[in-house]
Amino acid sequence: MSDPATTPMDAPAGSGRVYDRGYRRYDGPRGGRGAAVRALFLGSIRRALGLRRSWKQKVLPWLLLAVAAAPAAVFVGVGYVTRNTPAADFEFITYREYVGVSTALLLFVAVTAPDLICPERRQRVLPLIFSRPLTGRDYVLAKAGAVFAVVFAFGFLPQVLLFVGQMLVSDAALSYLRENAEVLWQAPLSVAVLAAYLALLGTAVASLASRRMVAAAAFLGLILVSSSISAVLLGGSAQGAGALVNVMGIPLFVRDLVFLGHIGNDTPLGGVDGGGALALACYLGITGACVVILLARYRWAER
Amino acid sequence: MLRTDHLRKAYGSTVAIDDLSVEIPSGRVGLVGANGAGKTTLFRLFLGLARPTAGFVEVGGRGVAEDPIGIRARIGYMPEHDCLPLDQSAADVVATLGELAGLPARAARQRASDMLDLVGLDEARFRAVGTYSTGMRQRTKLAQALVADPEVVLLDEPTSGLDPSGRDEMLDLVARLGADEMSVVMSTHVLADVQRACDHVVMLDAGRLVVAGGTEDLLDTTGTILVEVDGPVEALVAALTARGLACAVSGSRVEVTAPDADAGLDAIRDEVSELGLPLNTLATRLTSLDEVFVRRTPQ
Repeated sequence: MSDPATTPMDAPAGSGRVYDRGYRRYDGPRGGRGAAVRALFLGSIRRALGLRRSWKQKVLPWLLLAVAAAPAAVFVGVGYVTRNTPAADFEFITYREYVGVSTALLLFVAVTAPDLICPERRQRVLPLIFSRPLTGRDYVLAKAGAVFAVVFAFGFLPQVLLFVGQMLVSDAALSYLRENAEVLWQAPLSVAVLAAYLALLGTAVASLASRRMVAAAAFLGLILVSSSISAVLLGGSAQGAGALVNVMGIPLFVRDLVFLGHIGNDTPLGGVDGGGALALACYLGITGACVVILLARYRWAER
Repeated sequence: MLRTDHLRKAYGSTVAIDDLSVEIPSGRVGLVGANGAGKTTLFRLFLGLARPTAGFVEVGGRGVAEDPIGIRARIGYMPEHDCLPLDQSAADVVATLGELAGLPARAARQRASDMLDLVGLDEARFRAVGTYSTGMRQRTKLAQALVADPEVVLLDEPTSGLDPSGRDEMLDLVARLGADEMSVVMSTHVLADVQRACDHVVMLDAGRLVVAGGTEDLLDTTGTILVEVDGPVEALVAALTARGLACAVSGSRVEVTAPDADAGLDAIRDEVSELGLPLNTLATRLTSLDEVFVRRTPQ
């Protein structure tokens, strides 16, 4: 091993200067494939939230996430202030309604998924990543998993806020907890349904583009176009099977299955025969297609 | 350390590696060949990022096809092309890639710091890579290849795009790494780089093995004597041919093939003296790997 003394070499300084500090071996612990996936997952979460990045890159994700949580805070605040003199028509938003109430999570995915996926493809970082003990499947799992984790956290946090707030505002907190115990599994499950859908759709669309702007526009365009087509298919009627064409409606129909056991009558799919099964099939079909696209896009590493 | 056996890799009708059987020993090894010779493809095959069309690839006695993930954990790789995320600092890039190689987060940051010191980026490591010169990017790429302390490191054209002083420093670094219990395989099309930094060389041409061996052994090509004289060489060639020595002329240089090197040297010395030609060079070895490559490559 070289002398560890710090001695500059004779070569003239250019863009940098090599110092002969010697190469030191590493004999500490090493993780395997699981550690690599975990590192990629955590690194992607940090990037999604702008951590270890400039303040400019923190503003947008945190603003969108704050907007997603704001309605819950407002409802709890109003409920607390008026707890002794409730307005006659004041009602808390339901846990079911809160899932998907804000487009902020949608915009967050539109911004974040391309930021996690596109630069690594465009700047050709993937050969460096796949020269590590990782497979294409691991990469997809870490990236889509990171988007899922952040969307789930910021979709579920307001639900917790709503629940705790209503418990405290109610006359009998324990009774409220007992009467609404089913929400404790319904809310996280339905938020997970939405988060998985957005994460897979967002990352799959992003994997098809190399520019972030193009990927974000394609994701939002898909949602806008599908909702427009759905509206045309529904015609003047408020409900019908055409509602299934609306890409963003599908996870909300599955949410209804979680909360109600059937499609809500206040939704465009309400009253459609077999609507629940159709919605579930569409959900599984779309998420499955996204997984296939993602695995195909990152299969090149194993050819 | 690395071995291939009747290895073939084809992309459609394009054959990148053709029936390549070679053993690459530990130490500092130069993988040389023109652009398109198959060097990068061979690296991808060693990493398990490409599957052989036929044949076998082995790293450290273990088949790559059997355990590509395990193999990758033992190899560091520096690609030739730009491959760094431009909006991140070198410190973050190298530490992140260290974590992806299995190092704990704290150890990865410490190793990243050490490796960036080693390659001379200690002052600039917290700047975004997008602001770096080509030389600094090459150093960052080298640091990420070393961060997990691999058993063998594959460097794809590490001197590409570097100015002369940067190239010197990079070659010094490669030479020192190979002396630190780590095997270094460096691909290049500049044979002088290999001659300077490597003690073993593997030459490829159009995906086929040209020659492999110790750098000094290849330069000490037996049976060949180089003669360089001032003045016309025709008389010298005629005299040597009359003595039964085969001659090839290139300008003022004559390459003489002699079955017995000592007898050949004596004969040349006598004929040059007889003809009164000023003698510039008389050597029993080739002076560069370029000559070895040119001689061995089928035209």
